Amino acid sequence: MDALVRISQVTKRYDSDGQPAVDGVSLVLAPGEAVAVMGPSGSGKSTLLNLIAGLDRPTSGTVAVAGERVDQLSETGLARFRRRRIGMIFQFFNLLDDLTVEDNVLLPAQLAGLRRGQARARVDELLAALRIERHRNAYPGRLSGGERQRVAIARALVNRPELLLADEPTGALDTATGEEIGELLLDLNRSGQSLVLVTHNADLAARYARRVVQIVDGRVTSDAASPGLVGVQR
Amino acid sequence: MRAGPVARAAAGGVTRRRVQTVVIGLVLLVSTGASVLAVALLADSRSPFDRAFAAQHGAHLVATIDPARATGAELAATRQLPEVTAAAGPFGEVTVTPKPPGPAAGGLTMPPTTLVGRASPGGPLDNVTLQSGHWAQRPGQLVLASDPNPGSTVLMPIGTRLTVTGAHGRQTLTIVGIGDSVNSSAGGWVMPSEIAKLRAPGAPATAQMLYRFADAGSAAAIRAGVAAVTKALPPGAVTGTESYLAIKTQERSKIGPWVPFVVAFACLGLVMSALIVANVVSGAVVAGYRRIGVLKSIGFSPGQVVAAYTSQTGVPAVAGCLGGVVLGNLLAVPILAKTSNVYGVGALRVPVWVDVAVPLAMCCLTAVAALLPALRAGRLSAVAAIAAGRAPRQGRGYAAHRLLGRLPLPRPVTIGLAAPFARPARAAITLTAVLLGATAVTFAVGLGASLSRVENGISHSATEPVQVFTASAGPGGPGPVHVTRIRSTGPGSAQSGTGHLPTATKAQRAVTAALRTTPGTLRYVGVNAGHTISVAGLSQQVALTAFDGDARWTGYAMISGHWYTGPGQVDVPTGFLTATGKTVGETVTMTFGGRQVTARIVGQVFDTGNNGLTIYTDRRTLGGLAPDQYDIGLRPGVFAVAYAQALSSKLGPAYFVSLNGSLGGHDQGFLIVLTLIGTLTLLLAIVAALGVLNTVVLNTRERVHDLGVFKAVGMTPRQTIAMVVCWVAGTGLLAGVIAVPAGIVLHHNVLPAMAAAANTGLPASFLHVYGAAEIAVLALAGLVIAAAGALLPAGWAASTRTATALRTE
Repeated sequence: MDALVRISQVTKRYDSDGQPAVDGVSLVLAPGEAVAVMGPSGSGKSTLLNLIAGLDRPTSGTVAVAGERVDQLSETGLARFRRRRIGMIFQFFNLLDDLTVEDNVLLPAQLAGLRRGQARARVDELLAALRIERHRNAYPGRLSGGERQRVAIARALVNRPELLLADEPTGALDTATGEEIGELLLDLNRSGQSLVLVTHNADLAARYARRVVQIVDGRVTSDAASPGLVGVQR
Repeated sequence: MRAGPVARAAAGGVTRRRVQTVVIGLVLLVSTGASVLAVALLADSRSPFDRAFAAQHGAHLVATIDPARATGAELAATRQLPEVTAAAGPFGEVTVTPKPPGPAAGGLTMPPTTLVGRASPGGPLDNVTLQSGHWAQRPGQLVLASDPNPGSTVLMPIGTRLTVTGAHGRQTLTIVGIGDSVNSSAGGWVMPSEIAKLRAPGAPATAQMLYRFADAGSAAAIRAGVAAVTKALPPGAVTGTESYLAIKTQERSKIGPWVPFVVAFACLGLVMSALIVANVVSGAVVAGYRRIGVLKSIGFSPGQVVAAYTSQTGVPAVAGCLGGVVLGNLLAVPILAKTSNVYGVGALRVPVWVDVAVPLAMCCLTAVAALLPALRAGRLSAVAAIAAGRAPRQGRGYAAHRLLGRLPLPRPVTIGLAAPFARPARAAITLTAVLLGATAVTFAVGLGASLSRVENGISHSATEPVQVFTASAGPGGPGPVHVTRIRSTGPGSAQSGTGHLPTATKAQRAVTAALRTTPGTLRYVGVNAGHTISVAGLSQQVALTAFDGDARWTGYAMISGHWYTGPGQVDVPTGFLTATGKTVGETVTMTFGGRQVTARIVGQVFDTGNNGLTIYTDRRTLGGLAPDQYDIGLRPGVFAVAYAQALSSKLGPAYFVSLNGSLGGHDQGFLIVLTLIGTLTLLLAIVAALGVLNTVVLNTRERVHDLGVFKAVGMTPRQTIAMVVCWVAGTGLLAGVIAVPAGIVLHHNVLPAMAAAANTGLPASFLHVYGAAEIAVLALAGLVIAAAGALLPAGWAASTRTATALRTE
């Protein structure tokens, strides 16, 4: 099977004479996989995610997603790439406070030029699936953390991306809400959504990912099946 | 010695916020520069003649002396008279009739010009200001006055070689400099040794003496001074005098029309500069509220916070102010030079007090603009300051986003258009800045169009580009006559000549025959403009212009009433109506050639020459005056210079063929004023655009995290630029729409004020210059200014790394 994500000897330095944030990392992700990238603070896991999403550029090495060389795209190309192929979920949600829930979710579809009717139908579908229909006209400032993260997930899914990237998606949530969001992501993966999850929470990684990649000081120290998936039916 | 915490905080703010530091410095630079220029223009527009007179040590009296009757010792003794405080001279003087080189001037002749012999431009009195070139240093060199003869029709740049007939035959004078005398004491200057050589054989020697008197405040005081000098010299030594008061009156009427326009632009510039500086500086401090909160949370006292932030804005502001003084003076050199040309005074400078007062005022304005928000932040708690420094108050702009989101426009555009509603105060200041800039543009466009019509209304160069002057026999018979013509002060007007000339009838036949047979003639009309008449109720003589035939096409714009339709009707300028107290429809009684003639005033015509004391009529009104000149209209596409050369060749040297207007097609003064308008408008537009730049930079910094989110969900750089430009595009468009009527109102107020200062009315056509097409384009001026100011920071926003933007809190 062709890899969905292929990262080859990628290094990212922010400082020419400092320690690289990501140091010679190589990684292959298959379609439909749920992979957790784990490591302590400052290990480079968020940087790796940013490189896959095209939010940042590697200093050296190659990054390919769905056969597309992300490291070679222009800024316009990266924006279009993210619209088509990537959905991003952030720890602190990154919703736009002056847009309603509906407008936040609609935004990527509008930027991609999707027809108004089509976009609204997709938004309706996602709001219903994520059980936030009643908050359609609310502003993010009025929602709880869990509700905001659901809105962020809906926004990430509106253009049917091939790959969902989640950077500490439960980091700003309480345990119970975090578990709800975790289950949500698991359900998405079960339905075929490829997922890369960055977390420093081993329990989260074990429960919601099939494979765990450990990163320490910018280097992959281990890449193995998640112990928590033993016995899970696919 | 370690810098204190305040200095370190201020230094950190300056170096970390490089863009803001540069924007503050740039805004202060341009605003201070524009303000220096504006205040200098205002200061110099207040009695420019008086200040130029003082600066150039003007003479109260220019006296023409017969050196055959007064010795050098006797002339020197007049310096000791109790009435005299300073004297200069005697300077040799000669009157010549220069002939420019044939092809450059179409074989035309300059009127007689007085040249004075001076070894240098300086001296105790009447310093000549050199506009270009250098003083005459060798025989054969000439410094020409910038306006040697009002009505000079020929361009004479430096290097032009003029031919004069002097004591030893034909001589060549090369123009090496152009100078200005506040006394208009000569048409040009040569080395003293040249005077005798340039004098025509048999012409008497004359000399020039210059005097300043202890009391010269009135015509009576000047007359007393003249009497004292005349009495101190042998009888007949003083052959002519000219008082500075006459020059001052002339200059005032010349300067008067331009002062309202200069004042309007200067005031606009000052208001805009102050507004932009206040907006930029206060915005910079408000944008730092979060940092202020952080500083307070680590122990800064309110006083230390205020000091840090006023210092942080003060450093680039002071640098910008100092640079602005330099910029203002650099701009002032050419602009004040042009203004001095327009005003007709020797030299205008930036007064020293302007160079001190303006930057001081800007620094004070900066300090107040920084202090007020800094004091507010100092009073807030750390938490409140941090919260205030985050995104705009919640709830602001939400409705605008909802409404605009429904429009069938690209999403980045609707998001951008809704942004100003989140910061209404900042949007209002930006609106005002753009409004003022766009108003200046609208005003300038209208002013330029109106002045073009004024220029043509004065010169008639578009309608009658060529004129032929003959001798006028006047009523009663033919004969060689001395002819002196005085027309309006526009170009192409003053000519004089002496000598034996064809009789009136023969001249008419010759000219009309030549006009009929010269290709390019469209139409012509004979004019008698060589007489003055008495008018009941006026002590001064009134110039008469009597046309032989249909003269409606000659280009006299009507202010009211209509052009005469036959004998017994006259048209007059505003000055005549003011002087006589008459109105259109009333009769006027004229005395000419011993006869009294009454005619009806049927129209008020636009004409500023001769202080408006002119009467236009059919020649049959006053008994059939023979034409002494012909005004000629040309067929489209015919070049005036070539036509004039052909006509001059046909007519020969007995006739003066004159080009009406400069060879470039516009009066030089008009072109200078257009340049002034263009420069001032551009400055104001730049200041407005800088205000927009600052707004967008502040918005971009505040919303950098949101920009990261937009880019993360797929906004391309082009969409980002569109969104950021739309942050101010709506404001700019609104400002432009308001600016059009504001600029038109300003135009409709300033232009009549200019006309009133010149003692004339204005034809309606000179005011109604804004057509539908112009208005539609001008309405976009605000949008253009806003977009221009937003493009640079929009580009920065588009190029910001997404990951970096997302990390920003």
